Amino acid sequence: MSDTPTPQNTNSAIQFDELPDAPPKRKIKLSLLGKIGVVVLIFWAIVVAIGPMIAPYHEADILDEELFIVPGSDEMYPDTDFQPPSKIVLLGSDYLGRDTLSRILFGARTTIGISFIATTLAYLLGVLLGIAAAVGSKRLDMILSRLNDALLSIPSIMFALVMIAALGSTIPLLILLTGIIYATSVFRIARSLGQEVMVSDFVEAARVRGEGLWWIITREILPNIAMPLATDFGLRFVWVILFISALSFLGLGVQPPMSDWGSMVKENLPGLIYGSVAPIMPALAIATLTISVNMIVDDISAHTGGKLAKRMIA
Amino acid sequence: MLWRALLSRLGISLVTLWVVSVLIFIGTNLLPGDVAQIILGQMATPESTAALRAKLGLDKPPYLQYVVWLQNVAMGDLGISKAGLGAGLGTPIVEILEPRIFNTLRLTGLVTVIVIPISLFLGLIAAMHPGTRLDRAVTFSTLSLISVPDFLVATMLVLIFAVFLGWFPAIVYLRGDETGWVLIKTLAMPILTLVIVASSQIIRMTRATVLNVMSSPYIEMAILKGVPRKRIILRHALFNAVGPIVNVIALNLAWLVGGVVVVEQIFSYPGLAKLMVEGVLMRDLPLVQACAMIFCVTYIVLIFIADMATILSNPRLRHPK
Amino acid sequence: MKEVKTFQQMYRDGHVSRREFLAAMGALGVTAATAGSLLTSASALAGTPTRGGSVIFASNLHGPDDTLDPLLGTSTIDYTRSNASRNGLIQIWDDMSLNAELAEEWSVNSNATEYTFKIRKGVTFHDGSELTAEDVVWSMERHLGEDSPSSIKSFFTNVTEWKAVDKYTVKLSLSSPDADMPYKLTQPQAKIVKANATDWLTAGSGPYLVDSFQAGVKSTHSRNPNYWRDTGQWLDGIEITAITDMNARLNALLAGSVDMITSISPKQIQKIEESGNNVLSVPAGLYGGICCLKNTAPGENDDLVQGLRYIQDRERIVRKFLKGHGTLGNDHPINVSYGADHCHELPQIPYDPEKAKYHLNKSGYSEAELFVAPVTGIIEDVCLLMQANLKKIGFNLKLKKVPSDGYWGAVWMKEPLNVVSWNMRPTANSMMGIQFGPNGNWNDTFWNSDRMGELLKDSLAETDAAKRHEMHCEMQKLVSTQSGIIIPYHTNVLDAHNPKVQGFSNVPLGQFGGNQWMEHIWKNA
Repeated sequence: MSDTPTPQNTNSAIQFDELPDAPPKRKIKLSLLGKIGVVVLIFWAIVVAIGPMIAPYHEADILDEELFIVPGSDEMYPDTDFQPPSKIVLLGSDYLGRDTLSRILFGARTTIGISFIATTLAYLLGVLLGIAAAVGSKRLDMILSRLNDALLSIPSIMFALVMIAALGSTIPLLILLTGIIYATSVFRIARSLGQEVMVSDFVEAARVRGEGLWWIITREILPNIAMPLATDFGLRFVWVILFISALSFLGLGVQPPMSDWGSMVKENLPGLIYGSVAPIMPALAIATLTISVNMIVDDISAHTGGKLAKRMIA
Repeated sequence: MLWRALLSRLGISLVTLWVVSVLIFIGTNLLPGDVAQIILGQMATPESTAALRAKLGLDKPPYLQYVVWLQNVAMGDLGISKAGLGAGLGTPIVEILEPRIFNTLRLTGLVTVIVIPISLFLGLIAAMHPGTRLDRAVTFSTLSLISVPDFLVATMLVLIFAVFLGWFPAIVYLRGDETGWVLIKTLAMPILTLVIVASSQIIRMTRATVLNVMSSPYIEMAILKGVPRKRIILRHALFNAVGPIVNVIALNLAWLVGGVVVVEQIFSYPGLAKLMVEGVLMRDLPLVQACAMIFCVTYIVLIFIADMATILSNPRLRHPK
Repeated sequence: MKEVKTFQQMYRDGHVSRREFLAAMGALGVTAATAGSLLTSASALAGTPTRGGSVIFASNLHGPDDTLDPLLGTSTIDYTRSNASRNGLIQIWDDMSLNAELAEEWSVNSNATEYTFKIRKGVTFHDGSELTAEDVVWSMERHLGEDSPSSIKSFFTNVTEWKAVDKYTVKLSLSSPDADMPYKLTQPQAKIVKANATDWLTAGSGPYLVDSFQAGVKSTHSRNPNYWRDTGQWLDGIEITAITDMNARLNALLAGSVDMITSISPKQIQKIEESGNNVLSVPAGLYGGICCLKNTAPGENDDLVQGLRYIQDRERIVRKFLKGHGTLGNDHPINVSYGADHCHELPQIPYDPEKAKYHLNKSGYSEAELFVAPVTGIIEDVCLLMQANLKKIGFNLKLKKVPSDGYWGAVWMKEPLNVVSWNMRPTANSMMGIQFGPNGNWNDTFWNSDRMGELLKDSLAETDAAKRHEMHCEMQKLVSTQSGIIIPYHTNVLDAHNPKVQGFSNVPLGQFGGNQWMEHIWKNA
C-alpha cells in the first residue's frame, strides 16, 4: 500500500471539500436517455391526473358477453377473459373480463399515488429523525440509531407481512408501513450527511457567531443535504413501487376491485401460459415508469459526482 | 484502536439485537386470532378454543411470555412449535429449522458463488470503460432487470426453461440425496432467478462506487502523475471501494436469507422465508419469532463483518484522528 | 353421484355410446364440460392395472402444522396422508354407500342410541402389533371432552362412552338418537391408530407405510407388505408434498415434475387438456356462498337478502368462472350430487336485475359491506361480479378483503355479511343439520326455524322415499327463501394428473375421489 496516496487533510475537512456550501444552482444537462425518461414521466403524470376520465370503462366493470359476440357467429356466450387486444378492449381483457387499458389508467393513480405518498412519508420521517439524531444529544442519537438498526434488520417484506396480518390491508396502513420501512434507510443517509455538515467549519463558524440550532438546521444542514436526498428520492420511489408489487404478489396489496399495477400482474399470471398480454401490460407500465426514473437519477448523479452511490447502499 | 472499534461495534450489535427481540415480540403478538383458533378452524366453538388456548399457555400475560421466551432464546432453546401441540406433541423448533436453514444456506451459497465474480467482473469492466457501448449495455440491462417485479422474472423463466424447453424442473423438489450436477439442475430455476436479481444490484453498485472513487482527489492526483488507468482502478480505486462493495454484498446476502419469500413461494423451495410465512398464517408465534430472530442475527452479523471490512480497508477509519 | 359411476362403467363396457353417455349426463344436470371430463376418466377406467412405479402428489397447502395425527387433520394433505397410512372403522365408497373397513360389521339398536362394532381380526399396525378393541376405544375417546383438540369433536358431543366389550367388540352408547353416526365415523379425522401411540410414523394400519415425514416439506411412503385387504396397492411408492402457488402447481405438472396436482383453477383446464394431461372433474355438493347474518342489520332485512339473491348471475358464474365445471346454486346446499334428496321441483332462482332493484329499493339500503377472503376457489371473482352488477342498478357494495388465515375465527359468523365455503357432507341430512339444525354450532346465518328442526328430525326417521323427498323439498325451500345463505354455484372437485396415472374413483367428498386414491390407482410405465 506504499504507493496509495494518503490524504493529508483530516476526515471532516475532506468531507467539507466535497460538499458544496450552498445548494447547487447549476443546470443539469440530461442525456438522450434522461430526456426520454422525462417524457415518459410526464406522460404518467398526465395519466395520473386524467386517467380515469379518459378510460373507456370503469376499473371494476366486468364487460358483458354481448360485447364480444363476433357478428355472424352463433356463439351467444363468447369468452370474455384473457382476450387479445381488439376494438372493444384495446389492450385485451383480464382474468375476469375487465378492460386492461382502463385498469392501467385507473391503476396509475393508485400505484403512483400510494408509492409517491409512501416515499414522501419515508422522507419526512427519515430526514426529521435523521437530523434530530445528528444535531441532538448522544443519547437521542443512540436510541434512534438502535431502533433504526433493529427495523432495518427485519426483512422488510416479513415486517409488512406480520403488520398487515395484524392490522388488516388498508391503503393508509400500506402507506404508513412502506413509509416506515423506507424511512430507515433515509434516516441513515440524513443522519450521516447531517453529522458531516455539523462538524464542518462553516457550521462551527456559525456557532461561534452565536446562531441558534434552528438557524443551523434550516440554513446550513437542509440546503446542503437537499440535493443528494432529492436524487435518492427517485431510487427510493422505484423500490417502493416494486415493494408494493411484491406485497400484491403475496395477496397483501390494495383492496379489490381497485387496480394497482402490481396486483394486476399477479392476478393475471394464469393467463401467461395462454400467451395473454394481461399480465405483461401492467408489468410494462411498471417497467417504463421505474426505468425512466432510474435514467433521470443516473443522469443527475453523474453530475453530482456519483457521491450518492455510496449512500444508496443502506 | 482497532480493538476498541471492534468492541464498540459488538456492543452496538448486541443492543440492536435486544431491541429487535422486543420489536419482534410486540409485532407477533399483534396478530389477530391465535393458533388455537387456527388449529380448530371452521369447526371451532368458543369452549373448545378456550380449552386449547389454556393448554397451550396462551392465556398468560404477554410480558410474562416475553420474559420466558427471552430467557429460553438466550439459552439457545427456541421453544416448541405450536403445530401439533393440540395433541400434546409439538415439535421442537430447532428440529423444524434445521433442514430449512440447511436449504437456505445451500441456495444462498450457490447463488453467492455465482453472483459475486460475475457482478464484480461486469461492474469493473463497465467502470473501466465508462460511456462505451459495453458500459451502456451493462447499465441498461441491469437497470431493466431491477425495474420489473421479481415474480414476473421468475414466472417468465419457468415458462421458458421448464415448461417450453423442459430443461429444468419447474419447482424444486428435493429428494434429499442430490449431489453435483443433479443438485444444480434441481436448483437451477431459483438460482437463475436470484442470480439475475441480485447481480443486477451488485453490478450497478460496483460500477457506481468505483466511478465515485475515481473522481476523488487522490485518484485525480494519481492520474495527473501519469499512473496507468488500469493500474489505478485495480490497485487504488478497487481497494478503496472495498468497503461499500462489501456492504452491498452483505445486504444482498441478508436478503437472500430472509427476503426471498416470493422466489421460495414460486419454486416451492422449503427455505426459511417460506417457513416464516407459513408460521404467520398458522399464528405459530414461537416459530415466527425464531425465524425473525434468525434473519435479524444474520443481518446484524453480516453488517458487522462489512463494517469491519470497511474499517480495515480504509486507513482513515483505521486511524481516526 | 351413483348414477355417474354406473354410466361410466356402462360406457367402459360398451353398453352405451359416447352420445348416449353425454345425453344421460345432461339429464342428470351435469354440464357438457363436466361430462367431457367424465368421459375421459371413464376411458381411463378401461386400463389394466400394472404394478410398480411411484407418484408424486402435490396438494395446495402445507406448512409446519402438517400432522400425522389424524385427529388434528385440517387440510387435503393431512387427509391424504391419513388415508395412505391409516384405516377407519367405516368408509364411504364410490356410490356414497357405507362400507365395512376395520369394523367387519356393525349393528344399531332400534332407536339409534347404541352401536356395536365387530372389529376385524388379523389386522396389524405398521409396527407389527395387532389391532384390538382397545385401540379403537383409545382412538375414539380422544374426540371426547371439552379440551379435546379434535377438529370434529362436535360430531361426538352425544357420545356417552366407547367401551371394549371383548378383544374384538366395541360398543358405542349415545345420549340421543343418531342415525348419521356411521357417516361421522368415515371422517378422515376418525381414523384408528394404535392405543397410546407415541410414534406416529408406525401407528396406522393403512396400505402405505410412512417412510419419512417432514412437516411443510414432504412425506414419502412405500407399500405396506402386510396389508389386511387386497385392494391392489399397485404403486411401489407415494410422495406427498404441496405447492402453494396455483401457477407454480400447474407448471410443475406441465413440466412433469409431479404426477398429480389438487385444486386446479377452472381457468387452467384448457391448458391442462391441451398439454395431454387429464383433468378429474367430479360433480359435488361443495359450494362457496355469501352469509347474511339474520340476527343483525342488514341481513335481518328479508328484502335485502332477496335482492342479493336475484343479482347473482349464476349462469355466467358456472359458464365463465367455472368453465362449466359446476352446477347452478339455488341458495340451499343440497344440489344434484345428493341424489334423491335433491329437490328438482324447486324453481331455479334467475338473474333478474329488475327484481333485485325492486327488493333492494324496498329494503331501504343503498350500500353494504361484504367481507371477502379467498376461502375457496372463485368466491372472490363471484363477489366482484356481484359488485359490478349491483353497481349497474345503483347499489354500492363495498368489498372488504381480508386474509384467509384467521378468517374462520375473526370474520365468519361475526361480520354481518361474509363469505363461506362448505364441503360436501355424506348425506343431505348431515349437511342441513350442521348448518341449519337447532343444535348446530355452525348456524352461520343465525337463522332459527322450528319447522326446520322438526323436518330434520322426522326426515331421518322417515322410510317412505316419496315422503322423505317431500320433506327435503320443504327444507330446501325454507333455506332458500328464509335463511341468510346465498349459494350461487356448486363447484366440481377439480384435480389434474399425468395420463399415465389411472384408476381414480368419483367420490365427491374430497380431492381425487375423496382423498382415498392411494390403494387403487396405478401408473403405466
